[in-house]
Amino acid sequence: MKKTLVAGTLGLLLPAIGFAGEYNLTVDRVEIDTGEFVKQGVGYNRKSPGPVLRFKEGEEVSINVTNNLDEMTSIHWHGLILPFEQDGVPGISFPGIKPGETFTYKFPITQSGTYWFHSHSGFQEPEGAFGSIIIEPEGREPFRYDREYVVQLTDKHPHSSDRVMRNLKVTPDYYNRKQQTLGEFFSDASENGFLNTVKARLAWGGMRMMQADVEDLQGFTGMINGKSPKQNWTGLFEPGERIRLRFINSSAMTYFDIRIPGLEMTVVQADGNNVQPVNVDEFRIGVAETYDVIVRPKDEQAYTIFAESMGRSGYARATLAPEEGMEAPVPGLREPARLTMADMGGMPGMEHGDMGSANEMAEMPDMDHSNMKGMDHSTMMMSEGGASDPFYAKGSGLVPTAANGGKFLSYADLKAQKPLYEEREPAREIELRLTGNMERYTWSINGVKYEDADPIRLKYGERVRFKFVNETMMTHPMHLHGMWSILDVGAGQWNPIKHTVSVQPGTTVYMETEVDAPGQWAFHCHLTYHMAAGMFRKVIVEGGPESTQAASSEQPSEVGGDV
Amino acid sequence: MSPAKFAVAAVAMSISLTAFGAGTHGGGHGHSAKSGEPGKASEASRSITVEMYDNYYEPEIIEVKPGETVRFVVQNKGQLVHEFNIGTPDMHEAHQKEMRMMVEHGAIQGGKLNHDMMEMDMGNGQSMNHDDPNSVLLEPGDSQEVIWTFSGKGNIEFACNVPGHYQAGMYGEVNFN
Repeated sequence: MKKTLVAGTLGLLLPAIGFAGEYNLTVDRVEIDTGEFVKQGVGYNRKSPGPVLRFKEGEEVSINVTNNLDEMTSIHWHGLILPFEQDGVPGISFPGIKPGETFTYKFPITQSGTYWFHSHSGFQEPEGAFGSIIIEPEGREPFRYDREYVVQLTDKHPHSSDRVMRNLKVTPDYYNRKQQTLGEFFSDASENGFLNTVKARLAWGGMRMMQADVEDLQGFTGMINGKSPKQNWTGLFEPGERIRLRFINSSAMTYFDIRIPGLEMTVVQADGNNVQPVNVDEFRIGVAETYDVIVRPKDEQAYTIFAESMGRSGYARATLAPEEGMEAPVPGLREPARLTMADMGGMPGMEHGDMGSANEMAEMPDMDHSNMKGMDHSTMMMSEGGASDPFYAKGSGLVPTAANGGKFLSYADLKAQKPLYEEREPAREIELRLTGNMERYTWSINGVKYEDADPIRLKYGERVRFKFVNETMMTHPMHLHGMWSILDVGAGQWNPIKHTVSVQPGTTVYMETEVDAPGQWAFHCHLTYHMAAGMFRKVIVEGGPESTQAASSEQPSEVGGDV
Repeated sequence: MSPAKFAVAAVAMSISLTAFGAGTHGGGHGHSAKSGEPGKASEASRSITVEMYDNYYEPEIIEVKPGETVRFVVQNKGQLVHEFNIGTPDMHEAHQKEMRMMVEHGAIQGGKLNHDMMEMDMGNGQSMNHDDPNSVLLEPGDSQEVIWTFSGKGNIEFACNVPGHYQAGMYGEVNFN
């Protein structure tokens, strides 16, 4: 009785903190059926993907996570700003959750938007351990819609992740089916001359990369909300409605190019943060990124959500329709993109004298292909159609173009809807070279892999500028935990705020971070096998308000004595 | 509405069409007659303040009587350029193409209007002057009036046609009663 009274009084004293919500998640072995193969995996509440967690800005959440696996687990709340002990990275935030144990995460929700959660232990995430998070804002949103759907993508591979990693370590091109063939060598030779072709091939070999390395993991089935293309996840609508689609890329390794033939998409949010609306026909979603778009189908017909992998080796497909069972045509895969010499512009030790600079290659006069039947145009050393995007190397073979010839979203189009921070000069610049050796499947930062590296030390209260220099041939989605990544798109105070920043081959990308979260955090490439191979750093934030960590644990004794 | 008034409105709209260069856009504004006509301040029965935020209006629904003349006091309280435009969904769709051109040519830059660019000769005596009487285009902090006589029932919306804004839901309904 007395205790109840005290608890009641406590409740009255704390209304300013907002309401509290309690959530339960179990971590379970699950079976994942793609319609093409059935696979053992890991899920939440007996499913993969796990549930949609709906929070409200200002809420204090407690999430009880029960580990039903026979190994350690963890949950990382991807993109959420929270105390570092709640961030869910074993060895950095906390020890992890033992088999049979229930761990309760507790943190305040201080933001809104679309996010996701996933295991940060071993290969549980690519095995299916992920779910989505929707946070409703306190005030109104700067856009309106009649209904909404989460569209969570993944790349489900028939092999277990351990096996994939072993295969990649032994034979890095094990899953690369798009390697150039001898036939292509001769067609290159007839076009570019034998000597140039040999030189180019030698250069690629010297970089320990293969020219078709757009994707190092092929042979997957693209999934949307747990459904394969055949199983066709369907979202219903009434013609004329505005639909908010919350795209989340939970893939282990795959970037997707997303379009909905017949519908223009208005991008209103990236990585949970509102952006000034941009109308696009297609967009590329990096691993771990999220994009919210609004579409307005006016006709009583089905529309296909088509997500083609960046390397064109696979796709995911879903449908928007007025009724269950309706379908629209599914487009075919486009020709695969091929890396060009420009994409290795960032490679150190390149003999530019022999090869011609990346720019020269890009400006090579186009040749008449009309009499070369069967030529694969994508092997050309330039991007087709001369598409350009400031976030790709000039002449890059990876620059995306919209299937309908319309607008393809660029990072350069992303502008914050409302700046989160005052603009100010960064205190210093930290250079992070993204490095790797494809032949040995090692991935690192500044040439040093995680286990051999010193942590990156930041000072609480400073603003730092990160300079990413991609010296590899692969795109790396870099994810800093705990603090926002302010991507430099040249828009000053309107630069967008993200949690994951893609760095394309041969490019340098800058982002700034307001160091406003004490503690220690993970910072890594979100491609599962790159992260596992060592493209990872621990970040230590030194200093900070001393009261922040002590206050929360002391509060109950101050207020309620024996409660 | 008297036939004479209708003629005046039609002339006003066609002048504005020429000035804005909408002739190339398949007659989007040709439907203008449906939404009403510019009104006189002296005829306004009342005044409605419409506040524009990023990216929505307050209020989002207004009630008018057929034939009523309303004085709209439009205030941009956001940090981005916004439009207040009275028309049918088709008119808005046609106008969105013009607004996209304004953005592509740098006449609208986030929170700023480039007036020099708006007045630039785009060929054939057309410019990107945004001077239709059924609309105002405002920088943050600015305020302007639109006096409008609503013709009658119809699917009329007030909308911001800055690229992406209408699609994201920056529109309001005009209900006739």
